[in-house]
Amino acid sequence: MLPLLLLKTAQKHPVLVELKNGETYNGHMVQCDSWMNVHLREVICTSKDGDRFWRIPETYIRGNTIKYLRVPDEVIDKVKEEDYKRDEKRPAMARGRGRGRGPGGRGDGQSGGRGGAPGRGGRGRG
Amino acid sequence: MGTNVGLAPMVDSTISVITNDGRVIVGILRGYDQATNLILDECHERVYSSKTGVEQVVLGGLHIVRGDNIAVVGEVDDEIDQGLNLSATRAAPLSPVQH
Repeated sequence: MLPLLLLKTAQKHPVLVELKNGETYNGHMVQCDSWMNVHLREVICTSKDGDRFWRIPETYIRGNTIKYLRVPDEVIDKVKEEDYKRDEKRPAMARGRGRGRGPGGRGDGQSGGRGGAPGRGGRGRG
Repeated sequence: MGTNVGLAPMVDSTISVITNDGRVIVGILRGYDQATNLILDECHERVYSSKTGVEQVVLGGLHIVRGDNIAVVGEVDDEIDQGLNLSATRAAPLSPVQH
């Protein structure tokens, strides 16, 4: 499972973010992206030594300043659930063997072009 | 690539992570990516000290550790680990990574 998938699933859940500078931010995650930038609401910020607190209505944290995040335990189960649902929806054919290209290939120089549509296999899990 | 290289064979087993700030975190690896971001489950931190034994701090739950501040990832042999007498182990804490 990919960490960023877990993060995405943790949207709308309470999370704790520790920054590289030691500050921690507790709040509801509104949104996140593939750079780990996170948007929190109703935040409690704690200083590095843990002796000062601030209540902040809204913060946006740049991903690269993060040391780690804590997410609720149930989120990991939710990821698996959504995974499963997605698998069910997809037609069995498309659930290919990984990244195989199948017939069609990259073209042999004579037939020209880039191989193309037949049997691209998609991004399926094996 | 096979599943016997890199972090793949460690998934769902106990690992020990040393972070750039010199902390030692032990937990179960649930996932990882190209940037060495890790999903750690049932985390605890081992705080080493040269005066007292190792203190286990339960961090609990699910953590996403950003790859930026991971120095070392190591496999843990659960059997050997259980046999360790941590309260009798004296060791100086690690200092943070120097860039």
